[in-house]
Amino acid sequence: MANHDIHLTVRKGTVHALVGENGAGKSTLMKILYGMQKPDEGTITIDGEQVSLHSPADAITRGIGMVHQHFMLADNLTVLENVVLGSEKLYGIGAKARRKITEISDRYGLGVRPDVLVEELGVAARQRVEILKVLYRGATTLILDEPTAVLVPQEVDALFANLRELKSEGLSVIFISHKLGEVLSVADEITVIRRGTTVGTAVPSETTPRQLAEMMVGSELPTPETAESTVTDRPVITVDKLRLQAPGGKALLDDITFTIHAGEVLGIAGVEGNGQTELVDALIGLRHADSGTITLAEEEITGWHTRKRREQGVGYIPEDRHRHGLLLEAPLWENRILGHVTEKPNAKGVWLDPKAAQEDTRRIVEAYDVRTPGIDVTAASLSGGNQQKLIVGREMSHKPRFLIAAHPTRGVDVGAQAAIWDHIREARREGLAVLLISADLDELIGLSDTLRVIYNGRLVADADPATITPEELGSAMTGAATGHLEHEETPENSADVSKSPESPEDEAR
Amino acid sequence: MKKFDKERVLLAVAGPVIALAVAFVLSAIVLIASGKNPVEPFAVMFEQAGFSDIQVLIINQASMYYIAALAVAIGFRMNLFNIGVDGQYQLGAMLAAIVGAHMNLPAVIQIPLLLLTAIFTGAFWAGIAGVLKVTRGVSEVVATIMLNAIATSVIGYLWLPTVFGVKVGNNNTTGEMHSSGWIPGIDMGPAGEIYGLVVLAVLLGIGYWVVLNRTRFGFDLRASGASETAAAASGVDPKRMTLTAMLISGAIAGLAGLPILLGDTHTYSLNFPTGIGFLGIGIALLGRNSPVGIAFAALLWAWLDKASPELDFHGYDKEIAVIMQGLIVLSVVVSYEAVREWGLRRQQRRVGAELAAGHVLGAHNTKEVAGR
Amino acid sequence: MRRVSRIAVAGAATASLALALSACGGTSTQSSSAESKGDKGLAIAYDVGGKGDQSFNDAAYAGLEQAKKEFKYETADIEPTEGETDADKAQRLASLAKQGYNPVIGVGYAYAPAVKEVAEKYPDTTFGIVDDAQVQADNVADLVFNEEQASYLAGVAAAKSTKTNVVGFVGGVDIPLIHKFQAGFEQGVKATNPKVKVLSQYLTQTAEEGGFASPDKGKTAAEGQIEKKADVVYAAAGLSGQGVIEAAAANKVWAIGVDSDQYKQEALAKYKDSILTSATKDVAKAVYSLAKSVEEGKPETGIVRGDLKTGEVGLANSNPKFADNAELQEAIATAKEKIISGEIKVKSS
Repeated sequence: MANHDIHLTVRKGTVHALVGENGAGKSTLMKILYGMQKPDEGTITIDGEQVSLHSPADAITRGIGMVHQHFMLADNLTVLENVVLGSEKLYGIGAKARRKITEISDRYGLGVRPDVLVEELGVAARQRVEILKVLYRGATTLILDEPTAVLVPQEVDALFANLRELKSEGLSVIFISHKLGEVLSVADEITVIRRGTTVGTAVPSETTPRQLAEMMVGSELPTPETAESTVTDRPVITVDKLRLQAPGGKALLDDITFTIHAGEVLGIAGVEGNGQTELVDALIGLRHADSGTITLAEEEITGWHTRKRREQGVGYIPEDRHRHGLLLEAPLWENRILGHVTEKPNAKGVWLDPKAAQEDTRRIVEAYDVRTPGIDVTAASLSGGNQQKLIVGREMSHKPRFLIAAHPTRGVDVGAQAAIWDHIREARREGLAVLLISADLDELIGLSDTLRVIYNGRLVADADPATITPEELGSAMTGAATGHLEHEETPENSADVSKSPESPEDEAR
Repeated sequence: MKKFDKERVLLAVAGPVIALAVAFVLSAIVLIASGKNPVEPFAVMFEQAGFSDIQVLIINQASMYYIAALAVAIGFRMNLFNIGVDGQYQLGAMLAAIVGAHMNLPAVIQIPLLLLTAIFTGAFWAGIAGVLKVTRGVSEVVATIMLNAIATSVIGYLWLPTVFGVKVGNNNTTGEMHSSGWIPGIDMGPAGEIYGLVVLAVLLGIGYWVVLNRTRFGFDLRASGASETAAAASGVDPKRMTLTAMLISGAIAGLAGLPILLGDTHTYSLNFPTGIGFLGIGIALLGRNSPVGIAFAALLWAWLDKASPELDFHGYDKEIAVIMQGLIVLSVVVSYEAVREWGLRRQQRRVGAELAAGHVLGAHNTKEVAGR
Repeated sequence: MRRVSRIAVAGAATASLALALSACGGTSTQSSSAESKGDKGLAIAYDVGGKGDQSFNDAAYAGLEQAKKEFKYETADIEPTEGETDADKAQRLASLAKQGYNPVIGVGYAYAPAVKEVAEKYPDTTFGIVDDAQVQADNVADLVFNEEQASYLAGVAAAKSTKTNVVGFVGGVDIPLIHKFQAGFEQGVKATNPKVKVLSQYLTQTAEEGGFASPDKGKTAAEGQIEKKADVVYAAAGLSGQGVIEAAAANKVWAIGVDSDQYKQEALAKYKDSILTSATKDVAKAVYSLAKSVEEGKPETGIVRGDLKTGEVGLANSNPKFADNAELQEAIATAKEKIISGEIKVKSS
């Protein structure tokens, strides 16, 4: 049972935030509200009328619309075409529809241009198209699933301005997020879900992020440890003038040069789509560099294929664990073998050793607190956080020298996030070199020893995580600043930092 | 753990059972609609399964279906659709027949030679599609369909009297093979003979299971089928795996015609059974790509084939068996997908419930992270 | 544990199968012998294509009908399944013989190995096989035809009728049996007028691909030949021949039919004015004769050949335009005499 005894009341003209650990049941609740799943018991009431929603179409006619975490837009169509797709009956597909779109856009300050191709739009603009799409279909209640996960801080502010606009027009918004600071800054009311049930509500003005986090996990949070530098002068991975081209010859990565030493975490900041994925692919060997070299310790590994790299101590926490890190329909113990099929304890010569692999899976499940009733359940039946803990456990079990950690805590709840950070810190103390890529700037700043900013396939700036703020990093990520970023000690800025609901301590601990 | 095991068995059996039940019911409806007794044909066919000579026919036929279905299944396991099994086995059998007619070595060398001929022919033919796929991105579906057509022409060419053909009356053959290459059958008295190579089919089934479930290579292959991206990230070279899987599929396919060739006909003639490769697709589907499942599916198919001719003597059209085979394939596709989704959802719910009830493997964890 | 149980299931399945084998000792033919022997006569087992092909198999059925009417006994006709093996064919024949049918005729050379095997087991039953002369046994009659002789005459007719000096041949499947039609036809054309060009084409390589059962393929092939100026097309392609005739009628050129007198067939009545003649092969008569010989207690045995002399192959004379063309008829009559007398030897491949 994923949900039970859920009570949620959303008032007209408010932003209502829904927070909870991953696997707490937020997604299930949303699916029920959006008609994708049917509740076993209980009722849903809209405007005083009890309704039963059988499908998203039902939900839409009742005025409930959903903006998914992953955008559902066709790249090669224009905004107008994307918006009318599937709702041709509402306002046709021509001038009337265009007028309607412009009208909605102006009314809520969305700034959407109907005739641009979606592929030309940035992430934030696409999100606004998604919102407009839902409004176009007549939604009066919007569900936003982790809308800020893909945005830089400036874009988050813009989104929140849009949301305030919406609620002033009398619409309701249900806002799902992990980022407690954001929740507190935008929501009028907060409902906390834990283990499938609502455990309480909070009013932002009377709550701190820390209290909220404790409500979510149901106990006190551990106090933050002070991270002392473990950086050594022994280079583990050296990348020199790496270049990667798209089939047309356009550079996806160019002149990438960096060195990570034993015990060092190098953080890469950047707006998604600026070459992070390609960099990770080149390092793990899924793509081969067009020029430049990659050196692991003393050995050049540029020409090695993926398996050899992994055998030689390159660990990999992929950005998209469903696509690159797991076999969703295979049992946990087979997922423990994935990526390390040639290594002990998974194999003896050319033969698999299922017994030893199962034994070791049990060990990982215990050591990394993977919450599962057994190791024979499929990976798909675990929550995102537990899946990620399994992956981290698997990769750490092979004593990597170099770990590629792409968004290691994306979509992971607060508790699991802390655990994963602990594991990374611990391994770092023992001399692990880590390349950390994350859209969560607090995570980057809090965990990294060195920071670089990637923009358009190049490393354009570097910064000291001890002094930099997310806002400063954010502007470099949009290409506005290059070179070494110095933190400017202005009163305005420091005020910002102290007010920032997401200072590393709050978020991390 | 026990509970999940039972769950798995239930899920594995539910799909085929539902599919078969639906197919039987729909066939009965077809019979009723055409104004016939909906029960008697099945009674007749079940009765046939009791006769020993029919059983021999069923087992012999099933051995060929089984090998062909294994060839298809190995492709399915990594999301390759080898429709070319039909051409591969016919070509494999024909070349084995030709070699068997022109070489005369002691049986201990002759028989392995014939098997290898068939294996390499099948692998070569499938390999063409594999190479086209990895180097040129040609869909293996299209390539193997084309190769089937080409195989037919190649066979027609090899049948020319000026090449390897020997005309026997109005029939094209490849001449009779030397008896050192014949494989003796298991004599069942008046019921006939079970092909000796039925044993090969069983061995292939065991080998298939061992390789897939107990070797590193098998794991890589299954991983590629389950998620191409995850497999690539785990270190599998997708192109090499595609080519290898295609070659293995073709190699097994090459053997599919040998039970009857070495056990009965001893020549490749116009009478040689065709279409086994296509039937193998449905059988692999019904057997869920598992060696045991395919064995049952192959026997079921062979039973429908061998028991249905009797219907003609009872005033029914034996095409009812063909209708049933079609209905089975249709309902299998639907029911498997439904059962799979149902199973996934059910497991997710159970995991959630068990976790809520506190049945957690890591519960004794001393390292209380976040105090949960 | 799970592995073990799976293997156990497999083992149990195998064992139960083995048990079933040894337990059910009876064979299906033993059991059906219990059924009434009754008054059973002729039974035929069809070739690929089966009943309704308007040609070869239907001709066999016509013979069966005639025997049934005349001898007033029970008959049977059974169709094959696709992709079947020799063992299946043997099963079918044995089943018929065991039930008391006599004679049992396999229509088509594909039945040769089966007839050979089953004839040994049932020495008291007379077996017939159409289009094959390989089986030598006392109780087997090989019903074969000199199709090339009729085709030779068809070639004479084509060569005399063409105005463009191009004629076409459409074979159903590229197999030795159909090569006989082509060889005779080409020889007949060349002997009559060496300047006439023969376009030859086969629809498919194997029967499974539908060479004998696809009028659309026949139509396409004939249209291609007509485009290349052919104005007489000869089809030896079973049901596919209908497509050839249809194409000929649409383009106002001559078609020559095969096996039966296709001018008289109802299904082709629309096109009959375009059917010059048909090279007939009287399977019906051969089948009937064998049944009659069995009924009279003097069963035919060995090779029973139908040729121009016996009249079981020949040219149909139903189309008045063909029958009234004196010059044409004279040429055909001359050729026929020469073949019967042995002056002309017609090649069969």
